[in-house]
Parts: sequence; structure tokens; C-alpha cells
Amino acid sequence: MTQFDFGVFAGGLSEPETFTTHRARAWERYSDAPFPTKKSEEWRYTDISKVDFDTFVAVTPTEALDANLPADVQEVLDQSGERSGIVVQRDGRVAHIELDPKLAAAGVVLCSLQQAAASHAELLERALFAVTPTAAEEKLWTLHLALLTGGYLLYVPKGVELSAPIHSFRTISGPGVLTATHSLVYAETGSKAAVIDEFLSPDLDGEALSLHGATIHGDANAKIEYVALQRYGRGVKHFSTQYIAAQRDAQLVTFNVALGGDVSRSEVNSRLLGPGSNSEMLALWFGDSKQHFDHQTLQHHAAPSARSDLLFKGALTDNASSVFRGVIRVDVGAQLTDAYQTNRNLLLSKGSHATALPNLEIKADDVRCSHGATIGQVDDDQMFYLLSRGLTRQQAERLLVFGFFDEVLGRMPMEGVRERVRHAIEEKIGL
Amino acid sequence: MAQPLLVIRDLHAKVEDDDIDILKGVDLVVEPGNVHALMGPNGSGKSTLAKVIAGHPGYEVTSGEVLFQGENLLEMEADERSRAGVFLAFQYPAEIPGVTIANFLRTAVNARAGKGEETDVFAFQATLAEKMALLKMDDSFATRYVNDGFSGGEKKRNEVLQMAVLEPALAVMDETDSGLDIDALQIVSHGVNTLTKADKDLGVLLITHYKRILNYVKPDFVHVMMNGRIVESGGTELADKLEAQGYDWLQEAAAGV
Repeated sequence: MTQFDFGVFAGGLSEPETFTTHRARAWERYSDAPFPTKKSEEWRYTDISKVDFDTFVAVTPTEALDANLPADVQEVLDQSGERSGIVVQRDGRVAHIELDPKLAAAGVVLCSLQQAAASHAELLERALFAVTPTAAEEKLWTLHLALLTGGYLLYVPKGVELSAPIHSFRTISGPGVLTATHSLVYAETGSKAAVIDEFLSPDLDGEALSLHGATIHGDANAKIEYVALQRYGRGVKHFSTQYIAAQRDAQLVTFNVALGGDVSRSEVNSRLLGPGSNSEMLALWFGDSKQHFDHQTLQHHAAPSARSDLLFKGALTDNASSVFRGVIRVDVGAQLTDAYQTNRNLLLSKGSHATALPNLEIKADDVRCSHGATIGQVDDDQMFYLLSRGLTRQQAERLLVFGFFDEVLGRMPMEGVRERVRHAIEEKIGL
Repeated sequence: MAQPLLVIRDLHAKVEDDDIDILKGVDLVVEPGNVHALMGPNGSGKSTLAKVIAGHPGYEVTSGEVLFQGENLLEMEADERSRAGVFLAFQYPAEIPGVTIANFLRTAVNARAGKGEETDVFAFQATLAEKMALLKMDDSFATRYVNDGFSGGEKKRNEVLQMAVLEPALAVMDETDSGLDIDALQIVSHGVNTLTKADKDLGVLLITHYKRILNYVKPDFVHVMMNGRIVESGGTELADKLEAQGYDWLQEAAAGV
């Protein structure tokens, strides 16, 4: 960023000193780290060498924000069911937060990360700043930390349950913008949290960059549902890195849905840290035109008797492309691990292309692990059956995609969450 | 006299990648409101005829013509034929996991309505409920995935339900009775009779291997297909004769050019 002066940027932020220190350290690491290239296994299929990071302008925090809900956010809220709270971030800055007063009274905290740095310094230290990104993610992870202007903390204390999701929105208003945001979800022992992170923007006549990080932490016996619903307009390049930690008997479900943007990459790292913990990892994507989706996953079993189950499904048409690279890693001591990984791809056009790279790194000997990946086309018999009922080829394809996705949607426990995602997919598929 | 519903003239057709015709000169006329039974031994070309009428891409017409309400059916794609009013009840309906019958049928109904004319969800649900009541089907059926894990009888009932909702002018029923026990056969036959009663102009081409279904669905005409051609036509007495004597007595007619 040639025109960008980090010192001036950081100096303009009013935030606790610990935050400033971590920010500066992240900037240093970012400056030292090389840009990912196609030479690395993790970035072989997604070329970001043409992304000119210098041309993007990190949002500055000086101007006042309109606290009213943007029209596109209001539209989604009108269509959605019950919720426990709302977070709106506009161009990377928190503009609006509200939380069900009953939950606030029960000790639930929903606030900006800047506020959290003052009120929950220890928690941020432990759950966010202690994260060590993989070498492949170092560059973008540290950039997102250094430029972090937006982001929220959802903290659910021991035994408290959210019956409806927190609905969070990130909007991008125009080309040239770089947003850096983070979602920190911390569910204490026996609590229950649910979050929808929705990313949206109009179609842009230039490029914008969205850097996103998420740390999802479930203490013993906690239940978390986390959804990242990416439906940016064209022009946006989105990079999300997610670290999920499950302590003893925690039940975590994460669901990445990629529908929008030009390039959308999500790295989802799940760490099973306690016996009996369970991480359900789900994803869906539907790509058209020249959209490119990249999903990198890690199911890291560090504790025995834990379970992880990954189901990622993508459908592509036109000249869209996708890559899935998944690793199951089982540490020496993680006996009685159950780990499953499935990636299925449906190609609707000759010009579309999917790559699937499943990997196992298993160091324990008493485990049940399986992985499988398929890349296929629409079944001829199903197609003729639908045509014979008067559906056009396109309608038939779209209906089959919807059927293909249903298995994943069905695994989301919370009805309202499921319906929101279903609606967004319907809108994208155009059924 | 009204225009015939379906006119088939000297139709020859083959499997796409094959050289030999399976249909070797089929002639058939179906008038509105008539039920035609098409019988014949295995491999005589009955199912091929059904698929050719529906526009299956695996078959190629080598000569002859098929007119539906005066229009050249062979120039239309499978989906256009359906929207024009041709319905094929499949012998082996495809299973489509993840897509409910209600969602599937609503999409099919909207495909007929065209852009901007789509039926709203509630109006469609009312229509579907009405048709299911007509066929004495349980409401929960519509929420199941299309044919996914269905028994043979359920699959055939689902075909009849689709026929009821899509209201075709011509229904080609390809061995709808095969593999059904007597209870399922009666239910499906009741469905077909209900629909022909509700729509006096509905033409049916009922393809079957056995006379059994004709005890429940009364045809106006019976035809026998052998070796790719219709070799004998008559009334219900023809079905009785086939039941009693089999197909051997027709071998000569079938062999003749």
C-alpha cells in the first residue's frame, strides 16, 4: 500500500493500547510475509497475484456513520424470522448494534471489538490474538488484524441459551473499498449461541476487497451454530479465515455459503480440543459466469473421542470454477476419533471446472476416518423426467441443484437459520 | 368431427446409436376422450413408442410422422411437448432426492404459466390439495421427495397425481400396472378413471403387458403391437382373446410386411 501510512491510520483510531500493540505487531508481520503464490499447495488454484492491494483504501474511522439500517439490510430483516440481535457493519465499521434486552440482562455481550478490547481484554487475548495462522494464511490474516476497524464480540455466559440467531450484516458501498472485519463468538460452558454473518453489496463497477476473520469458541458442552452467508455483488473479492475451537462435549456447526463476489475463499479450521466434542462443517456454493470459489478446510483432532463431519457441496455453471482442499489431521493421542469429509460437485456446463483435493494425516491407530470427493454432471434420467413435465432445461437444472443442496440445508439445526439460507439460495439460483 | 388428438403415420424409430429400427411403421389415431389400450409381448416396441411420443433424446425417428392436435410433435422438444399437453406416465419414474413433490409440481405448473403469470404459493397449494383429495391421497405425500425411496405403487400413484395436476390432453401410460399388487393396481386404476371422468376430452394411450388392468380401466379400443407394428385392433373382446390364446395366433400377421 504505497499511499497508505499505517502510523497515521492507527493513530486515528481511538482504542485501548493493547489493541494498538497487537495491530502494530500484525502490520509488521504482514509487511514481512510474502504474498501467497500459486507455487504453494494452498494457493495453487486461486491466483491473487493480480489483486492490486495498493489500490485499495482501508476505511478510515473519522467520518460519522449513519446508524439507520441500510435499505438492503432492512429488506433481509423483513424477510427473516426471529432474531436475538443485530449487528450492522458498513464499509468495515460497526454502525449499529442491538441485542434483546433480556439476553443483555442475562449477561450476554454483543459489542464492537474496540469496546471488547476494554471490557473483555483477557478473552480477546486468549481467543483472538493468540491465534497462530497457518503459513498460507499469514499474509491475509495479519492484514485483516492490522486494518481491523470492524468486528464484534458475541459472548454468551455459562448456561445462557439464545433461541434465535444474532443476525449480522456487512455491507460494501462501492469500488475501491477494503474492509477488515472479525467475528468473535465465545460460548461459555453449557451455553447456546447462533449467528448469521451475512455479507452483501450491490454489483460494483470496480473491485472491492473484503477481509474477514472469525474465531468461534465453544467451551464445555456449549452449542454454537455459525453461518457465513456471502452474497456480495460482482466486483468483490472475499477472503475469510475461520478458527473454530471445540472443548469437551461442545457441539459446533459451521456453515459457509458462497453465492456472490468474483472470488471467494474461505479457510475453515476446526480444532477438536476436548473429548466428546463435535464439529459439523457444512458449505454450499453456486457459481455462475466466471466466479471462483475456494474452500480450504482442516479438521484437527487434538483430543480423543471427538467427532468431526464435513459436507461441502458446490454447483457450477457457465465458466465458474471451484476448488476444495480438505485435510483431516489426527494427533497421536487422539484415539477413537470419528472424522468424515465429503465434497460433492455438480457441473452444469462444459466451461465450469471443479477441483477436489481430500487429504488425511492420521497419527493415531484406533480411528474411524473417511473421505470422499465426487465431480459429476446432471443425471440424464432425472433431466428427462423433469423435461417431460414441462420444465425448461434451465428450470430443471436449477431444481436439481436445489435438490442437491437440500441434504446440507437439512443439517442446520435452527429453523430460522435454515430458512434464511434457503431463501438466499433460491434468490441466487432463480427458481 | 373434432380434430384427432394424436395421429401417428408409418412411424419408424430406433435407439439413437443403433442401426436397426425398433418401430417399423406404426399407425394409430387417438380421438379426444378415448382410451386406447396397447398390448403386446416384451420387446414388441410398446415402450419405445411411448418414449418417442414423449421426446426421449435416446431415440431417433427415422421416418413417418406424429401429429398432436394437428401440430408436428416431432419438431418439439420434450418440455415443449409436455407444455402442449402430452403426458408420459413413466414405467420407471426417476428418483429426485431433495426436491419435494410440491416444489416439483409448482415449478412444472409455473413452467406452463410463463413469465409473470406464475401461480402464487397459496393458490397452488389449494389446487394440489384438491387433486390429492380427488385421488384420495394423504396430504403428507406432497412433502416427500420425488419418488425417493417410494414403493412401486407409490411411484405410480405419484405419476397419476402429476397427471391430475398438469391436466394433459393426452396421457401415455407406460406399463403403469407392472409390478403392482392388486391393491395398488386398484388405487392407480381408480385414479385414471377419476381423471377420465373429470375431463371428458382426455385421451389415454394405456400401454400394458397384461389384461389385468383392463378389468378396472375400460378401453374403447385395444391394439396389439408385435415386431414394431400394430398388427391387430379391436374392442375389449380382443383383450379377452389375447388372455385366452396368447399372442401366437398373431405371429403370422407380425411377420408379414
